[in-house]
Amino acid sequence: MLYSAFLWRRGFQRDNWINYSLLAAAFVLHTLAMAKRGFTLHHCPVNNLYEATTFVLWTIAAGSLVFGLWPRLRFLGVFTSPLLFCVGVFALMPGLDPPPTGKPQFANGWASLHAAMIMLGYGAFGLSAVAGSMFLTQERNLKFHRARALFTLLPPIQRLEKMITISLATGLVLLTAGLGLGAAYVELPEGASFQGDPKVIWSMLVWAIYSVLLLLHWKFDQRGRRYAWSAIVAFGFVILTFWGTNLLSEIHNPAP
Amino acid sequence: MPIVVTGLSHHSSPVELRERFAFSNAQIADALGQLRERGIADEAVILSTCNRVEIYAATRDNDPALGQALRQFLCDFHGLGPAPGDELYTHLEPQSVDHLFRVSCGIDSMVLGETEILGQLKQAYKLAHAEKATGALLNKTFQKAFNVAKLVRSETQIQRGSISVSSVAVELAESIFDSLKSRQVLVIGAGDTSEKAARALKSRGAQSVLVSNRSHDRAVTLAAELDGRAVGFDTWEQEFKQVDIIISSTAAPHYVLTRDKLEGLLRQRGHRPLLLVDIAVPRDIDPDCNQLENVYVYNIDDLQGIAGQYLEQRKAELELCKRLIARKRNELLDSLQAHPGNTNLGLREQQAGS
Repeated sequence: MLYSAFLWRRGFQRDNWINYSLLAAAFVLHTLAMAKRGFTLHHCPVNNLYEATTFVLWTIAAGSLVFGLWPRLRFLGVFTSPLLFCVGVFALMPGLDPPPTGKPQFANGWASLHAAMIMLGYGAFGLSAVAGSMFLTQERNLKFHRARALFTLLPPIQRLEKMITISLATGLVLLTAGLGLGAAYVELPEGASFQGDPKVIWSMLVWAIYSVLLLLHWKFDQRGRRYAWSAIVAFGFVILTFWGTNLLSEIHNPAP
Repeated sequence: MPIVVTGLSHHSSPVELRERFAFSNAQIADALGQLRERGIADEAVILSTCNRVEIYAATRDNDPALGQALRQFLCDFHGLGPAPGDELYTHLEPQSVDHLFRVSCGIDSMVLGETEILGQLKQAYKLAHAEKATGALLNKTFQKAFNVAKLVRSETQIQRGSISVSSVAVELAESIFDSLKSRQVLVIGAGDTSEKAARALKSRGAQSVLVSNRSHDRAVTLAAELDGRAVGFDTWEQEFKQVDIIISSTAAPHYVLTRDKLEGLLRQRGHRPLLLVDIAVPRDIDPDCNQLENVYVYNIDDLQGIAGQYLEQRKAELELCKRLIARKRNELLDSLQAHPGNTNLGLREQQAGS
């Protein structure tokens, strides 16, 4: 993140593999840590809030690295790393990662798949917010006639807008599939119900927000700054309310 | 065998003097032959462009008077009187190699960092090579110069950015639009700069160009040149729906496009980005249009300001270029020193010691 701040000040003027390599190295370590935990627990590590958060961050990092293969999108990592760092530190809060009780909260493979797809979806939404912040940076440069709009190696704003849309659409598809799998195949604990569960209601709300956002873009030509801000605010809402609703939900956070 | 360069450039002399020393291609072949026949140089390359006339030469016998002989040859060949003083310069090794590398990188050019000179240098070398006027030394040195130019281009920002108004307009378009391929350009007022900008956009792939001018004949002529279409000066608004980039340079004393008018027009075309380049003085486009969402207005001062900053950026890269050139020059001279056919050791050591 510190190196990102340095590059930000330098104005992204030179192609920079150091930024990409640092993110890639962190991603490898992150993957190893997640794999180790997964093999130890014998299931996908999306069992508690810490694991869920790190899974979302892993998805965002993976997306940034893939997009970063294109030279003009390489600085995506610079915009991603502060988000990864801040949310990652938050995920380390005590209480979010209770020691395993020996029995996973989610009993079958469908539950793991349900959780993993939703987390991948949130990761894609995170990426749309990152692309949105890149858009706002470059759009501001252009609007205020700053020469750095041309000096930087940031992509054209129209391409960034496309990237927001691709990430949003991918996230929505994954979220829809994950929610569908959860509703159809996941076995609920005894006495629990989807109806009235805060996490279920919240998930439907998130789904509705992103659906409206894409609908506004495709059908009502919502573009530019407002569109980028919408992607950022929507993800801000997800990240800020994710923990609360999870802790309130009996299905997702059953009493020991 | 030292490399010597003698000549004159835009730094040292006015065009009135340079043109008297200029060589045509046919003259270059003749001059290269004379240099060899008269025993002045064993290897030579002659570079003659609008901004410089230079002879790069080398002899086997380490002739310290080679520079003076080249100066005299330049005057004799063109039938001129005594050689001019400061206008004509001579560089010995290692400054001659430095000079060649600087020329190849465009940092000795009038437009700092321009790349045209590299093509001209390659052409000059090719001609000398075809005339068998080059040997192991100049072959190696010129190849190295071309490599250095490539290195400088990739490792520094000396050639980055546009330092002309029309190129800046193209770069702006490329910072906004994903691709210029499907973009429609509208030129309002067929002035010289707007024509250049439209040409540059077209060469970068813009789909089509519409031209609107008070004199319709001029619009038709320019549209034909740009493979576009002329539209009436009072009816260009009808085409607005498809347009992505407008370049305006009319002589109108008032705004051709006001904010109110643009707001009405924008409703026709949705929220696609719109780039408005206003190169007219007085201005054609109300600056308040820039406050509208997805609209980007740049006037002549904005464009010149960016071009000026690019130039400053290039100047700031000069030191880095010089360091790279010095490193590559040392590499070249060390490798030539190690070469058994190289006979310039005496002079090089003498210079190093002085």
